Amino acid sequence: MAEKTLVCRADEIAAGAPRIVKIRGLAVGLFRIGNSIHAMLNVCPHRGAPLCEGPQCGTTTFDDAGGIIHHRDNEIVRCAWHGWEFDIATGKSLVDPKVSARVFPVTVDSGNVYVHA
Amino acid sequence: MFIVDCDCHNYWLSAKVLEPYLSGVWKDMFIHGERTGPEGAFPHGHRPWFHPHGFSRKDVRPVSEDDNYTIMKEKHLDPNKIDVAILTGDEPMEASTLANPHYANALVSAYNDYQIDYWLPKDSRFMGSLVIAPQDPNLAAKEIRRLGHHPRMAQILASQGSQRPYGDPFYHPIYEACAEVGLPFAIHLGGHGGLNWNAIAPAPTTFFWETHAILHMAAMSHVASMIAHGVFEKWPNLFFVVIECGVAWVPSVLWRLDQDYKALRKETPWLKMLPSEYFRRNIRFSTQPLERPDNLQHLWSILEAMDGENTLLFASDYPHWDYDDLKSLHLPPDWKPKILGQNALEVYKRIPAPAKTRAA
Repeated sequence: MAEKTLVCRADEIAAGAPRIVKIRGLAVGLFRIGNSIHAMLNVCPHRGAPLCEGPQCGTTTFDDAGGIIHHRDNEIVRCAWHGWEFDIATGKSLVDPKVSARVFPVTVDSGNVYVHA
Repeated sequence: MFIVDCDCHNYWLSAKVLEPYLSGVWKDMFIHGERTGPEGAFPHGHRPWFHPHGFSRKDVRPVSEDDNYTIMKEKHLDPNKIDVAILTGDEPMEASTLANPHYANALVSAYNDYQIDYWLPKDSRFMGSLVIAPQDPNLAAKEIRRLGHHPRMAQILASQGSQRPYGDPFYHPIYEACAEVGLPFAIHLGGHGGLNWNAIAPAPTTFFWETHAILHMAAMSHVASMIAHGVFEKWPNLFFVVIECGVAWVPSVLWRLDQDYKALRKETPWLKMLPSEYFRRNIRFSTQPLERPDNLQHLWSILEAMDGENTLLFASDYPHWDYDDLKSLHLPPDWKPKILGQNALEVYKRIPAPAKTRAA
């Protein structure tokens, strides 16, 4: 059963600079994408690496001419070890959506960030 | 059982058979120009390794040009009950080693016309390979459009030796033309001299057997390159057939490709599937020379890891020294109907359906 835990103030989480907090023994990464805050377990489903210690970043797509374009800036976390990319909001791997990092619901109330883990 | 031999070499005694199919400056060059060998040698840049015995089986000894067919029929097609033999030529694909792309293209064009005129009418079991000189992809595409609709052309064929890995966008005009005429693109061991990159990664090796055993290094590069550059996203129905480049290495390379792609997919955002999934959908390997470990189970486990029952195509390589004899082919017996014939029908759409062939 998820428990609501106060973790920090929202203005303490900057885009591109995730924070890692402990919630009852679980290491959880907190990310800012624009105005929203997201929480992800700091364990990569691939090999158990500290996923959220990798960079918060964007990824690539391509145009009609085959050129490579950077997009989705700050929406992706790239695992600290092997570089697997995950969608921060959903936890899904960009290669195989069946592989997913664990994410937790977040609420922000009066500038306080609560993780439901 | 319906049997398709995906690599049957139609020899000539002398490349002079091409003379009637050449014209203008190319005919002049062919007759009067310098060549690699005596009169009748096919112009090409030779590799630095010489086969100690020559390539052909020693029980195949043609004296006249027509013997090339009669011996093939007597020693291979009839006794092995081959239903369809895909002719792969022999020297013509070596045109890929010539620096002059215009001359190279003229030579393969002459061969393609000769093949249609001389070989295909000889036996209803024959299907042809349209040989291209890939060093000028636009000329190659033109040649594909010139003859690619011929009903008995089974595939477009180039040598494994090339100037760049085949996925490079430089070559994409070739695949555009293949897709247009609806034929697979095949590469065959060869073209390892002259213009082309050395087939052996660090530097040329020394002995022929030492080299021959590891020549598939180039095929590894082509497989990785075709997948990475998104050839199968651009042309999802294109089959890429790898002939005579070994098969037991394939699973290990696919495992490595999948592993690295999972970490670094952002380099190639056009891909939508795992490398191994493109392999399964778009790439086929011919069996000969099928690796032969002491414990056959080791081989069969590897073949299972590449879904060999569905991704392998039988090839004999007649009449070469490392010919695979159908009667002693070491494949799992249950897989034979598919590997010996059914898989080829999926790839080579112009092969007549078995029932029709039998009735004919």
